Amino acid sequence: MTSPMRIRANVRDGVVDVRVLMAHEMETGQRVENGRPVPAWFINEVVATHNGKTVMTAQWGPAVSKNPYLQFRFRGGAAGEKIAIKWTDNRGESRTDEATIA
Amino acid sequence: MSKFFSALLALLIAGGAYAQERFPGIGRPATRAEVQAWDIDVRPDFQGLPRGKGTVAQGEEIWEAKCASCHGTFGEANHTFSPIVGGTTARDMETGRVANLRRQDYPQRTTFMKAPSVATLYDYIRRAMPWTNPKSLSDDEVYAVLAYMLNLADIVPAEFELNERTIRDVQNRMPNRNGMTTDHAMWPGRGFGTERNKPDTRGPACMTDCRLEARIASSLPDHARNAHGNLLLQNRVIGPVRGVPTAPGDFDFDDAETGPMLLARESGCLACHGVAQKIVGPGFAEVALRYRNQDVAEALAGRVRQGAQGVWGNVPMPPQPDLKDDEIRALVGWILAGAPEK
Repeated sequence: MTSPMRIRANVRDGVVDVRVLMAHEMETGQRVENGRPVPAWFINEVVATHNGKTVMTAQWGPAVSKNPYLQFRFRGGAAGEKIAIKWTDNRGESRTDEATIA
Repeated sequence: MSKFFSALLALLIAGGAYAQERFPGIGRPATRAEVQAWDIDVRPDFQGLPRGKGTVAQGEEIWEAKCASCHGTFGEANHTFSPIVGGTTARDMETGRVANLRRQDYPQRTTFMKAPSVATLYDYIRRAMPWTNPKSLSDDEVYAVLAYMLNLADIVPAEFELNERTIRDVQNRMPNRNGMTTDHAMWPGRGFGTERNKPDTRGPACMTDCRLEARIASSLPDHARNAHGNLLLQNRVIGPVRGVPTAPGDFDFDDAETGPMLLARESGCLACHGVAQKIVGPGFAEVALRYRNQDVAEALAGRVRQGAQGVWGNVPMPPQPDLKDDEIRALVGWILAGAPEK
């Protein structure tokens, strides 16, 4: 079970500012708990789509913190339109959440 | 009127009468309005909590405008203050103890990991926030902002309305509500004053042959007092609290409070900017040095008005919509001139 992302998207002068807080353990694989290594478990791809068109992709590794915060801007969005964020982790699990641009 | 308030009022009036008896012509009893303006505390048992209401959605708007620049959009920011949200789990809300507080390796403690009482959060926001303009939020706005924070911390749902009644239910979901102890005997409560739980410090009152004057055992030599610059000018000055002047010679703060210096103080600039040195924002002297001989007055005025981030590091400058254009021009001109005292 994964928790929803929190997404805020605001447009100003044609530029949409998107801020996302994801809930993910982001285990590096380097950590030892009770004498055993904790297996790596992290988001390795993030894709942002606006009206079905990809506006940003990111390839992440284990250096990204737990519960990552992501901010990016793109041109061409308008208030009321949807922005969707999808992450996929190294276990193949993924989650998509959507927000309306304000 | 609360019982506490009546008692306090009686005490103040009695105190005033007493002062007038002993020192005729000096002072007067505080008026009821004065006491009321001063008596704003909200206690963990909700005593003093004003009526009002606010929703998560209303809180989000206020948050974006007045809080997010320092605390982050999701209360997660770690650049100006430690984070507000994070580190708590659904299990913590059941037990009332935050499990991560007991871990040695947990990186940081957030506000919601520590705060045992939701009323204290209300009290704190109302009296101290926003940083640059404390006590400017209405009671309803404080409810709304708190509702939004509680939603960020997954304590209340997105459609929640916080008011003087529902806040009591929220208390039963606070992640660290059972995490506060008074057993250390340093605070009135269980264990206070019992033989077993004596504080580990001793401060006996002297009753005989007491020293009449304090004796200074050691002090910094004069040449070392100023080693880190004038501490007075580096302190965040709010209300009557002022730092110790360490610069050579006398420095009278009130003398310096004329013209733009006064405007800068009253507008809250000095809460974040030192005159000479950085506090959380750059010192005015540093700004003047960077932009000397450049025509940047208009650009800087824009940054004061609309806020800015990134030029001097990650800490954002919040927008200043309350300043008039000619005030901004005066401040910017004064800063670029090196922020002279007079």
